[in-house]
Amino acid sequence: MTGRRAIFLTARRELRERATSRAFIASTIVQVVIVLAIVIVSSLAGSDDTESFKLGALGERPAAVADAAEAQQEDFSSEIEITSFETEGEARAAVENDEVDAVITADGLITRAGPSETLVTLVQQASRSVAGAEALGSQGLTDAEIRAAIEPKPLEVDEIGEESSAGVAFVSSLLLYIAIIASGYAVATGVVEEKSSRVVEVILSAIKPVHLLAGKVIGIGLMSLGQLLVIVIAGLAAAIPTGAVDLPDSTLPTAALIALYFILGYLVYACAFAVSGAIVSRQEDVQSSSAPLTLVLVAAYLVAISAAESPEGSVAVVATFIPPLAPMIVPARAAQDALPLGELVISVALMILAAAALLWLAARVYDRTVLRLGAPLKLRQVLGIARR
Amino acid sequence: MAFERLGHAQAMLTLDAISKSYGETRALDSLSFEVAPGQMFGFVGPNGAGKTTAMRIVIGVLAPDSGAVAWNGAPMDAENRRQIGYMPEERGLYPKMRVAHQLVYHAELHGLPRDRAVEQADIWTERLGIAERREDKVEDLSLGNQQRVQLAAALVHEPKLLILDEPFSGLDPTGVDVLSEVLIAEAHDREVPVVFSSHQLDLVERLCDAIAIVKDGSLVASGEVEQLRSERSGRRWRVELDGESAWTPSLQGVRPVADSVYELDEGADPQALLDEARQHGAVRQFGPDQPSLADLFREVVAEGSDKATS
Repeated sequence: MTGRRAIFLTARRELRERATSRAFIASTIVQVVIVLAIVIVSSLAGSDDTESFKLGALGERPAAVADAAEAQQEDFSSEIEITSFETEGEARAAVENDEVDAVITADGLITRAGPSETLVTLVQQASRSVAGAEALGSQGLTDAEIRAAIEPKPLEVDEIGEESSAGVAFVSSLLLYIAIIASGYAVATGVVEEKSSRVVEVILSAIKPVHLLAGKVIGIGLMSLGQLLVIVIAGLAAAIPTGAVDLPDSTLPTAALIALYFILGYLVYACAFAVSGAIVSRQEDVQSSSAPLTLVLVAAYLVAISAAESPEGSVAVVATFIPPLAPMIVPARAAQDALPLGELVISVALMILAAAALLWLAARVYDRTVLRLGAPLKLRQVLGIARR
Repeated sequence: MAFERLGHAQAMLTLDAISKSYGETRALDSLSFEVAPGQMFGFVGPNGAGKTTAMRIVIGVLAPDSGAVAWNGAPMDAENRRQIGYMPEERGLYPKMRVAHQLVYHAELHGLPRDRAVEQADIWTERLGIAERREDKVEDLSLGNQQRVQLAAALVHEPKLLILDEPFSGLDPTGVDVLSEVLIAEAHDREVPVVFSSHQLDLVERLCDAIAIVKDGSLVASGEVEQLRSERSGRRWRVELDGESAWTPSLQGVRPVADSVYELDEGADPQALLDEARQHGAVRQFGPDQPSLADLFREVVAEGSDKATS
């Protein structure tokens, strides 16, 4: 049997056994839900959501003010519903009972404590318009002239920069962090599962250790990449057609970079996690043997979050060239158009070099430790093994 | 007892002076034996004698410090090793994998094409009585059934050699019968040598054509079971008298070793022992005594330690 066939068989086993497991399906659903929730929440925050107000009017002139307020409601992203009152008593009672938000009187505004500023501003504005119209009317101006005078064309707002690109950067860092830590841990526990159940002995009587390791890394990697793509596509599918979020132009390249950096980051971490599994014999020891890796990943994620705020800062630039940190930072910078192409090329090259070095190291250490049982190895012993 | 080579001209599996140490501990000390095609071969010895180490060296998951393993006279290579069906002592199966998937996977790893692997998995689950368990996860099976799956995993790829570490431990009597039948069929019908270790010496005696007894990493006896037993019996005589006549031979060079069984030194004459017995009563039975494998085992292991301490 060729090595390629051995790798294919072990990779296929990993894919099939894991992709059909309840834990995997559940984690995929949970992550899709989280991403969809982020999309929906940010679409709510970013959209022009209107507030609705119930406005009362006591008397004839206040009714005119209320009408003026209704005429301007769109400028204030509001929706006004008008109620008329005959007596001040009725009006006060309605405010107290929360039937209306405010009542306009001849010389004031009755509201509950802490009124909406939008509403107050809107009513004041309407009151000024009515007073202005009255004054201009008494000067003999036509209605059209009055309207032109008191309702000038609103200023156009030109926003500079892209509001939601930080959001895409945040989501990309989070997705990569979750994908790498979950898949890395899956590799470590998979290696130990085979050791602790002794199945590795039976398997290695048929194939070489390096083929088993390669099949495992490839199988789990493909499965995690597939999961990541499902999540990213679900997020894009929710965001793009509905137009719920103003996605920056960099979104699609960012999605491609997420896939690329998942593959590179996964290779770097999966090999290290495989070693952390191979040097222990029991499932309980994986947590502690992989703790340094988890720590590096968490630190990388924290750096990525801070770098997302200043994607051109020195921290972000330096982290781009440090392979364990780069996966969570590079797509986040790209999302904010803060990644020069040259830096990307160098970063990818460094990632490939690091992955190759770790693959080599992992193959050596795995080969020499996977059949070993007993107390967990110390880092110094592991390096000694790699040197042999 | 002197190390004795088997008489078979064409040994299929040869262990040649295998030594292995773990740090200061010498697990195997120049261990050699041979297994012939179609032979049921029992590998016995006290706990920690090195049986598992020897088996792991044969299947190649462990490298010997010195010595070699040969297959049909040529050094064992990866391609030969893939033809071995191996069952480890501590069972090795994926706990969360379904029985059928697991067996097909093992068969494919050993080089069977997929359709053949599926067919073989069906055949072996049927033969070992776990056909209804094909879709169950291994961890949901009873220990006895897990062991049957383990055995199926060793047999599913049509191996040319079986190496089984304690295959009978933990099986109920029905399981022992099923397994014995299967192993004998493999050895005698398919000419597959079956090497298995066991502490159940009555079973080894009943099933095996040849055995090797190891102690402290060294071979203390090996050969065909009948031959080993008759070698021993040449110096042992059973003398039974009618009634309960208490009698101790006064003859020179005769020692009682068990009830009515006496061991004679080289010079002692069995006929003189019979003559003396006659004087004490009617002799009901007189003849060479064949020790059971258990007796043999106890003796050679004890001799081994005498040698070690002297």
